[in-house]
Amino acid sequence: MSRNTPTSVTTTVLLPALALAGALLTACSPQASSPAAAASSPAAATAAAHPDFSGYWNLDMKVPVDPELMSKVAPGTVLLTDTGPAEFPRGEYGGLKLKPAALEKARKWDPKEQLSIHNVCRAPSIIYAMQGPFPIEIFQGERFIIMKLEYYDMVRIIFMDGRKADANYPHSMEGFSTGHWEGSTLVVNTDHLEAATITNNGLDHTQDARVIERFKLSADGRSLLATQEFEDPAVLDNRGVRFIAWTRQPGQHVYPYDCDPSFAGNYK
Amino acid sequence: MKKQLLTTILVATALAGAGTAIAHHSFAVFFNTDAKLVKITGVVEDFHFSNPHGTITLKVPQGHKEITWRAETNSPSLLRRRGWTPEVLHIGDTVTLEGWPARDGSRYMRLRSASDANGKPIGQPIA
Repeated sequence: MSRNTPTSVTTTVLLPALALAGALLTACSPQASSPAAAASSPAAATAAAHPDFSGYWNLDMKVPVDPELMSKVAPGTVLLTDTGPAEFPRGEYGGLKLKPAALEKARKWDPKEQLSIHNVCRAPSIIYAMQGPFPIEIFQGERFIIMKLEYYDMVRIIFMDGRKADANYPHSMEGFSTGHWEGSTLVVNTDHLEAATITNNGLDHTQDARVIERFKLSADGRSLLATQEFEDPAVLDNRGVRFIAWTRQPGQHVYPYDCDPSFAGNYK
Repeated sequence: MKKQLLTTILVATALAGAGTAIAHHSFAVFFNTDAKLVKITGVVEDFHFSNPHGTITLKVPQGHKEITWRAETNSPSLLRRRGWTPEVLHIGDTVTLEGWPARDGSRYMRLRSASDANGKPIGQPIA
């Protein structure tokens, strides 16, 4: 079979990600043990108490902002309205207050830099990627939750076992994420992010940016609702938050992104 | 400020309505959503169907010569869910493309819709 067939691409790109998720969940989740053992496990009782976010979720712009999630956002945080396909024009940052140096850098931003062969397949960080109009797929275990983003084939691992990043943990576009449950809401804290765009128009966060996300199901269980707060005192005088919602679509899976850098040739 | 907000809303509305999605480069910076849509009929010379965006190259008759137009598609991984495949276009096919013109005035557009020689839409609109 040709390496260029869709089946081959799926085999080489998607299956390793799914295998990773499966291995992590199988090896580490009490849910994977026998039903009898699970029934007697305190962890199983905890798992049963948590909502199940597993599945394929497609961005849904029709879901209204959730007041309960927004009530948890820190005071003074500005709600950005660019979730999904919308983008702020050059020079507009949705209410974020930029430090003078960040503003000057944004003014000098050359958008064609994004389209060099070096950068065109470079993923943004989760601060920009999570709100994009691409689906996500969640594999939920007790000690790990895996989020596979279709956008740039990004894979997030959310550690639910209380671990800390070791001293040499590298910065990346996914960062280092830890999660815990507050009732039926999953709270995820992320740091160790690589510097990357916030609004795709010249405003970048530094590697010291921190993110807090809260995920919960809608009352009917069909939608996954989230807020994503971020702060980066090196570039911002205030904090930003995006509200993001996805609708579950059973039976579907994220596709490989498999970015082709030759696209940069269109912008020489 | 109001004007900027309105611009933002318009960009969002236009993109949402067309089912367009950005990849990493800024749609608003490179394409003029306030301008009249460009509609071009020509013959497919090349078709790439890979992320972050597909590209279609068209040969378009103009008087006694031909000019070249190129169109950038939405992300192919999203288009697959709307009926597009790498085989949906072939070299030599006559197609009509409609989209937002590039801000730099080049013969380059961001594809909004495509139809074949019989006027049949290529792919499905967003649900």
